[in-house]
Amino acid sequence: MKSTVMKNYSNKKRPDINIKQLSLAVAFALFAGNAAAATIEEKIELLQQEIESLKDQVASAQAGNKAGGAQSLAEKTTVGGYGELHYNNFQGEAKAKDEIDFHRFVLFFGHRFNDWISFKSELELEHSNTENGGAVELEQAYLDFNFSDKLNAKAGIFLMPLGFINETHEPPTFYGVERNFIETRIIPSTWWEAGAAVYGEVAPGWKYQAGLTSSLDGSKFENFATKGIREGRRNVSEAPAENIAFAGRLDYTGQPGLTAGVSLFTGKTGQDNDALNGADARLTLWDAHVRYNKDKFDLRALYAQGHLSDAADLNAAFGLETAERFYGYYIEAAYHIWQQGDQDFAPFIRYEKWDTQASMPTGTLRGVGSNNHVMTAGANYWPHPQVVIKADYQKFDEDDGSKGDKRFNLGLGYMF
Amino acid sequence: MRFFLKKHLQWIGLGLLLVLASPFSLKAETYLTSQQFVDGAFGTNAAKLETLWMTKEVVKQADKILGHAPKQLRQRYWKHGLQTAWILDEIGKEEPITAGFIVESGKIVQASILAYRESRGGEVRHANFLKQYQGVSLLPDNFLNKNIDGISGATLSVRAMGRMARLALYYDQISRAESTKPESAKTQ
Repeated sequence: MKSTVMKNYSNKKRPDINIKQLSLAVAFALFAGNAAAATIEEKIELLQQEIESLKDQVASAQAGNKAGGAQSLAEKTTVGGYGELHYNNFQGEAKAKDEIDFHRFVLFFGHRFNDWISFKSELELEHSNTENGGAVELEQAYLDFNFSDKLNAKAGIFLMPLGFINETHEPPTFYGVERNFIETRIIPSTWWEAGAAVYGEVAPGWKYQAGLTSSLDGSKFENFATKGIREGRRNVSEAPAENIAFAGRLDYTGQPGLTAGVSLFTGKTGQDNDALNGADARLTLWDAHVRYNKDKFDLRALYAQGHLSDAADLNAAFGLETAERFYGYYIEAAYHIWQQGDQDFAPFIRYEKWDTQASMPTGTLRGVGSNNHVMTAGANYWPHPQVVIKADYQKFDEDDGSKGDKRFNLGLGYMF
Repeated sequence: MRFFLKKHLQWIGLGLLLVLASPFSLKAETYLTSQQFVDGAFGTNAAKLETLWMTKEVVKQADKILGHAPKQLRQRYWKHGLQTAWILDEIGKEEPITAGFIVESGKIVQASILAYRESRGGEVRHANFLKQYQGVSLLPDNFLNKNIDGISGATLSVRAMGRMARLALYYDQISRAESTKPESAKTQ
């Protein structure tokens, strides 16, 4: 949904010619009709047709006929956004204090230059300020070239096309207060790079995206046991650009309610760092995902796995604990138990398992907290399709760092 | 691959520029014109163009359905026998989607996408998605009587389609009520 900037037509001067034409039409309808001895009904019909014709001209002059592709300047610039407030109550052997956080405040700005070139952007404020670990981040800023249904292109900063959450993460679109662990610790959402990509629908129901982008920085893969490759994201902020990566996905969406697909990212992360003595540190991360939303049921499953070459070299050069292989998966089921008008209530359950250090290079020991699984049960309530209130309870197999092995979460989210 | 890319970067860049500057770059986003849609449903020039005036009550209900007031002062539609055809615009995420609905006696007979302009979510134009609207009618609270299965990643386009389907059914209801009124009581 969008809000258009300065959408106020009332100040627009209507063409004088339309007033004149209107007067003429009235005169014509009232007097000319007498000659033909028309009935009152016929005169009214004639008058109505003339008025409608003039209204069409006025509407056309105001660029109001969008079906024709014409848009006023104000309608070419769009604003949107989303936000989420979280409360986390850590239980069990938790040492961490409970937390309340306006986790994300996001604004989208877009502009359409013509009928095939547009600009899209996403600006985010994390944790409500930049003093206590928060950040202002430019997550998307790209030019979109729409050629046809089959072939489009985009260039700039855009989200990596992996999994579900990385590209679509507005709070009313997913279950649970916090994003799932697989799409944060294995696929490091939110993950964006700079580059260029083509995308479209190669055949009815088959969507693709393929592009070349900047890559991660392997020397920054810190806290691998708990964060995976997250710390290697450089957010296109004076980032090293010695390595180029490929990122793509293929999805089948030909049946209503069904999305099934695979995604792939592969690129060297060594960034020609002298300390690596020529080691590439290639990262290949892939996932397979499926969602089936039929009537009141909503099922989602995802498996993601990463391979990192030269993990031993990275660990030796930078004192890291990177793994040669890491993986995770989840399965989630929700049921829309109550729907009334715009309101909707859906309990859900999700099982997740991950291992960020499934296969370690010789000479590096596994870190603490790399291998865990968690069961989450909760519910989303939408008082409006774009507003959501969430609550869930999570039970971990092992302590999740200092945050214990049980967690109660409350959340509030919106999008527009 | 990196060596290849670095060596041929200037050619890749030139190729991209040529593609972008090509006269074939114009996006084909309109699948059907209004006339094609109406003629396709009723036969060439078979339907009569009618007008539904936006009275205060109609605007109020349309506002409830769309979440914003309709822009038009009146809604044009086509009538053929018991069937009416409605062509509506509604924004998905950023761009207007143009959809057409054929309605008969309070039920949708056909739903079509005439133009789609968003960069994501174009699956709403597929027959498999659109055929879900066949036979759908309005509940007393102006919501649809059937759940429409969505499309992952196209949530906003699906919702826009839902709002337009509800509006077409509501407009059809009003147009039928208008046509049964005596001439003197019709809204002009």
